[in-house]
Amino acid sequence: MAQAEAPPSAVTRRATYRRAGPTGFLASWRTILFLLVALAAYAYGWRITQIDFPTLLFNLPKAERIVVGLLQPDVIAQDTESAFGEVPLRIGDGPAMPTTAPLAGGTLTVTPGAIRPGEPLTIVITGARPNSDLRLSLVDASGDARPIRTGEKTDDSGSFPLTFSMPQSVAPGSYSVRAELSWGLGRWRPTETFVVSLAKMIETIFLALMGTTFALFVSIPLSFLGARNLMQGSRVGWTVYYLTRTLFNVLRSIETLILAVIMAVVVGLGPFAGVMAIVIHSIGAMGKLYSEAIESIDPGPIEAVTATGASRFQVVLFAVVPQIVPQFLSFTMYRWDINVRLSTVIGLVGGGGIGFLLIQYINLLQWNQAGAALWMIGVTVILMDYASAVIRQRLI
Amino acid sequence: MLRIEHLTKVFPGGVVAVDDLSLTVADGEFLVIIGLSGSGKSTLLRCINRLVEPTSGKIFLDELEITALTPSQLRRSRKQIGMIFQQFNLVRRSSVMTNVLTGALGTVDAWRSVLGRFPAAAYDRAFANLERVGIPEKVDQRADTLSGGQQQRVAIARALMQEPRLMLADEPVASLDPATSHSVMKYLEEINRHDGITVLCNLHFLSLARRYATRVIALKAGRIVFDGTPTEIDHVRFQQIYGEEAVEVEIA
Repeated sequence: MAQAEAPPSAVTRRATYRRAGPTGFLASWRTILFLLVALAAYAYGWRITQIDFPTLLFNLPKAERIVVGLLQPDVIAQDTESAFGEVPLRIGDGPAMPTTAPLAGGTLTVTPGAIRPGEPLTIVITGARPNSDLRLSLVDASGDARPIRTGEKTDDSGSFPLTFSMPQSVAPGSYSVRAELSWGLGRWRPTETFVVSLAKMIETIFLALMGTTFALFVSIPLSFLGARNLMQGSRVGWTVYYLTRTLFNVLRSIETLILAVIMAVVVGLGPFAGVMAIVIHSIGAMGKLYSEAIESIDPGPIEAVTATGASRFQVVLFAVVPQIVPQFLSFTMYRWDINVRLSTVIGLVGGGGIGFLLIQYINLLQWNQAGAALWMIGVTVILMDYASAVIRQRLI
Repeated sequence: MLRIEHLTKVFPGGVVAVDDLSLTVADGEFLVIIGLSGSGKSTLLRCINRLVEPTSGKIFLDELEITALTPSQLRRSRKQIGMIFQQFNLVRRSSVMTNVLTGALGTVDAWRSVLGRFPAAAYDRAFANLERVGIPEKVDQRADTLSGGQQQRVAIARALMQEPRLMLADEPVASLDPATSHSVMKYLEEINRHDGITVLCNLHFLSLARRYATRVIALKAGRIVFDGTPTEIDHVRFQQIYGEEAVEVEIA
């Protein structure tokens, strides 16, 4: 019967190819099962990680201090000069004669010389230094000052008038009114915070440089032992290859922060602990990248140089090294870049560098100083990132 | 004289690339090996300098049994056997000079090669060989800035640095256009005629074999199915070698 050899019917074919197309898998029961399991996993994850977006939203204003610190980093300040004048003032009964005192080339006058609480007091400054910051305060007999006005300024002619009523809360007694004028000398200079942060940032960059360099010296020789194409052929070769790769994986899998904590215990707090943490992690990370770079080289030149009668060492030198140098340089730059970023946080756990400074500022709630340190980190990381990208582009 | 006796190469996985092959090549021959892709041509050449280790069989260069050499003896004997490749196999990022000097590595100590201190005579020979293949002006360029034909000529210069008796050429023109192919083949012919270097050359194009070979062998499944002069390959022979449906393609 000819029908025995007939092609599959259209119905059978349609059943076979029913789920073609990129989203055809959606119709499968396996997909549905997978989706259910995934849903359960996410539901559990949502609970144990205590996801709470409303709190995030409502408490966002708490970040204000940090934002202010970032907006007003303690980076530069002007040199200032100041002068002050002080006149006596009696709260209670006494002579009403105005009292005066010289103030920065002008005069501070308080009228009257004695008032009762609730009565108006007039403070006038004339002929003093124009456009200067002014701070007025009431100083009691024991020397405690309470501010009357802050953030005021003298006008273009060096004058400042103020009338206000003495609050009832001021106890009677002998006081004085003090006026402090201060003005910038026009020379901006970096603040102490800036200088310290910069020094720590430089320490951070060099911490990363030293760590990367030491790791380089270890990982380059090891990477040849971890390259499949160079080690294949003998049982010893394979053993060395697997041992090397395992070593890389172990070193790479330990987070730098954990290593920094361990190293801080071993060699004490400070940048050296950070250097060692970076060395250990980078040996694994760079070794793996280098080995893979060696594995991806063109085998042709190796064959050709071998055929000339060159020794194994000469083959590596003349056929392997020229092929991997640009990639090695590029990976090293990249790793240094990563290590600078790592070094900024290594300080948080006592590994030296700018992170050490940053965590101190944060713990002391010195937000403007912390802001300065954060800016320093940000700018450095961006610059390093850019520089390493440019250099890597030229190398390849 | 090159003598191959019962050479067999079985790759891991069981592929028999060369199957009990025996062959004698006299000094000064220009032997072209033809055959389909996968017929064992490349493996045969690579067994001769043991880039591929033969499974069994013997290879003699004169009375020297290449297949019995220790690794260090093998390195020394490889100096007598130059090789060029389909993909030229230059170190692309190195200069033409460095690539050519690579051919002299077999005669330079390890520590001298680390410092790049090749003997002055090696530099002189490198220049002479580059002049021979007609590209002395490229000496300082990086190898990957050269055209395919120029790269293959650098590869020939590199092989000539070994002052070889035997030249193995594995599909030397398969990556080149017809005109460049002839130019490269002419350099091989020249070193064969002028220097008396024996040439073993794998080729795809029968027309090139007819033009340059003094002797042609054809391989099929690792065995020799034809051995004779180029003129003996007629249409019938051609179909035996390449199969019933093959049509010969001419290269200009």
